[in-house]
Amino acid sequence: MDKNAKTPFSAIKVVECGQGIPAAFGAKMLADIGAEVIKVEPPGGDLARRRGPYPGDQEDPEKSGTFIYLNTNKRGVVADLTRPEGRELLAKLLADADVLIHNVPPSERAAQGLDSGALCAAYPKLIVTSISIFGDTGPYADWRGYELTVANAGGWAYLSPGASPYPDQPPLKCFGSQGDFQGGIHAATVTLAAYMNRLKTGKGQAIDVSEQECIAAMLEMNLMHWTYAHRETSRLGSRLLGPWFIADCADGKIFALAVEEEQWKRLVELMGNPEWAQEDLFKDRIARGQNQDALKALMSEWLSTWKVQDLYVEAQKRRIPFAPINTMRDLYESEHLAERNFFVTLDQPGVDKVRLPGMPSIYNRTQWSLRRPAPRLGEHSEEVFCGEYGVARDRLSELHKAGIA
Amino acid sequence: MADLQANLPLAGIRVLDFTWAWAGPFCTMQLAHLGAEVIRVETTARPACVTRLIPPFADDIAGPNRAGYFNQYNQGKKAITLNLTKPEAIEIALALAKHADIVADNYAAGVMDKLGLGYDKLRTVKPDVIMISMSGYGQTGPYKGFVGYGPPASAACGMFFATGYEGGDPGEIGVSYADPNAGIFGAFALMAALTHRAMTGEGQYIDQSQLETALVLMPEGLLQYDLAKREPERHGNHDPVMAPHDCYKAAGDDEKWVSIAVGTEDEWRALCGAIGQPHLAGDARFKTAALRKKNETALDEIITTWTKTRDRWDSTRILQGVGVASFPSMGNKDLAEDAHLAERGYLVQLEHPEVGKRIHAGIPWKMSGTPCAVRKAAPVRGADTEEVLKSLLGFTHDRIEQLRKTEVLI
Repeated sequence: MDKNAKTPFSAIKVVECGQGIPAAFGAKMLADIGAEVIKVEPPGGDLARRRGPYPGDQEDPEKSGTFIYLNTNKRGVVADLTRPEGRELLAKLLADADVLIHNVPPSERAAQGLDSGALCAAYPKLIVTSISIFGDTGPYADWRGYELTVANAGGWAYLSPGASPYPDQPPLKCFGSQGDFQGGIHAATVTLAAYMNRLKTGKGQAIDVSEQECIAAMLEMNLMHWTYAHRETSRLGSRLLGPWFIADCADGKIFALAVEEEQWKRLVELMGNPEWAQEDLFKDRIARGQNQDALKALMSEWLSTWKVQDLYVEAQKRRIPFAPINTMRDLYESEHLAERNFFVTLDQPGVDKVRLPGMPSIYNRTQWSLRRPAPRLGEHSEEVFCGEYGVARDRLSELHKAGIA
Repeated sequence: MADLQANLPLAGIRVLDFTWAWAGPFCTMQLAHLGAEVIRVETTARPACVTRLIPPFADDIAGPNRAGYFNQYNQGKKAITLNLTKPEAIEIALALAKHADIVADNYAAGVMDKLGLGYDKLRTVKPDVIMISMSGYGQTGPYKGFVGYGPPASAACGMFFATGYEGGDPGEIGVSYADPNAGIFGAFALMAALTHRAMTGEGQYIDQSQLETALVLMPEGLLQYDLAKREPERHGNHDPVMAPHDCYKAAGDDEKWVSIAVGTEDEWRALCGAIGQPHLAGDARFKTAALRKKNETALDEIITTWTKTRDRWDSTRILQGVGVASFPSMGNKDLAEDAHLAERGYLVQLEHPEVGKRIHAGIPWKMSGTPCAVRKAAPVRGADTEEVLKSLLGFTHDRIEQLRKTEVLI
């Protein structure tokens, strides 16, 4: 890890505030390609420090896997933005920052000095990117929300699990923090667009990203089923096409799918041309979707004779888009991902080696790198505030004693 | 329209868009939203232009320009027809690439090279071109030729394994999430490459694997395995720490649900008051977050008793009024008619020559200095063939007609 490695993006100074995933992930996207990110945490530390997962399940805010993943390549300082002295520290950072990215809820911004309009007036070149659950405007702007709220407000949960066999069970949130991650990646994308604009015009601006809207924009044909054909959708009902189901193999589960008719023909061959495949029930992909229960029952015996990996490879050789229901272990042990060097190993002080997901996109010029571990709480407060922004050491220790820095 | 576009961040950026299905068009749509001129290349010679060919169609009347799927994810773009099985069409594509800042595809690995439109070739006509290939598994590695779609990528990245009801089987997550996700990561990579080019003058090539873009969203599961050697468990809507945390049945028909999530002590006390049971805040079973988590089944029953006699919006307003995170589980009609989304200008309705005005999902961000807006409805097939070939390549009307006859421009 070379902490001082420079890329064209090293010129971009980013200040990050807020809690948990959205702003931290957006800033991580920028940090990973070289931007200089300073993460401002409240004195109690970021919420992600308390989410784990932890080594050996032993809770420790310096060892949270989610925090580590989100905050490599950043320096970390502490400032309590609810106190005027904390806001003064933030002001020093913003004076020469290019980007401020945060996910402080709209109702709490004024009290923390994070009102977008006021910041843009005070720092005309600054790009102020805010991520929130419902956006900065509109009747729900001040409503509260967590990941579960976004999954439902955006309309995703209502569709999940698709073609559900469990009608009594409620709409289901997908694993993890997808609304938060989408808020982060959308924010990072638009922030770079604003930076491009600033290169041309010299002007900063405010960006307002709504997680609800990000999720609602990612639901395939959901909205148009209503606005084009007046059909309400839900997690109940049948598949648009088939086969499209999860099935048991001898040693695990596989996702069986054939989208195009040619793929189905090759699958029938792979199955040894069973007679039932010629039945009218399965004559085209739409019919196979409607008669999926029968199709799955007929395919099950054949599927159960295979090992997952063997069937995956044999199907894919014939360009049939099957995929394994991978476990985390399967992924860490994947030969394909290993050959592409997808996972990166981090030396995180106190944690030993951590294997993190790496590059989402491989650039042949822009350099993606892992330069430094995630910061301990307040690790760089002195280096940044005193060393680079002229705060006297005595003053910083006063603020520290007062619980502000 | 022209003035509006001139001020946008990507004004003057041209994208030659060979993408199809969903991931790629979702990517290039983000660039159109930001002001780029996106020229989508299609052909009727290719049977698998899926998004024009599957329902829902406007008023259930099938037709390539009537498909909601296509019209949603190609808003703001131009469309030309170009039959890439013909050598002349490849020459035209290369001539267009000379005028492009970005070339995008989401074919399986190697397809653009075989067509004679690979990065090395494109660089000979446009040295600082930026190219992104969004494939299922990436351009290298033992699975590089494997076929990827959104649903299998969501299975392969571990999301199916980690999603599901309490004690149940791995779940299927309801949408082909890995597709638009690859699209937005592609848009980020292209923004990074454009910024890189603006600062250094260099173009570049981006190899993006759909599987890998989904894996970067799985740190909670992956790191639980790496750090604690435990696979993620399936707990429905329940959270490892927060309780209550679920979708609860609301009054009305069977398919009305309301989500409630409590993360702090303040929220917990507010919830108890709002549902008319302030004594619960002092109940020994629910005194701490850990106890609420331990006794969440009992807690869920108490909450359901309250939610199931109330309209989901009434519950939401009561709870949000006291600072508790709650929201109805929104269906497609709910979203299309939502007052908040309408007031924010998120729901877009632009005139389309064949389907008229239909509500579409719009832009999930706002920019104060360079306000983005969807500038036009999705193009009908081949809408811009003549305009693009005349203005960029100087083709005459006669030459274009000739190329239609020889099935180059179909």
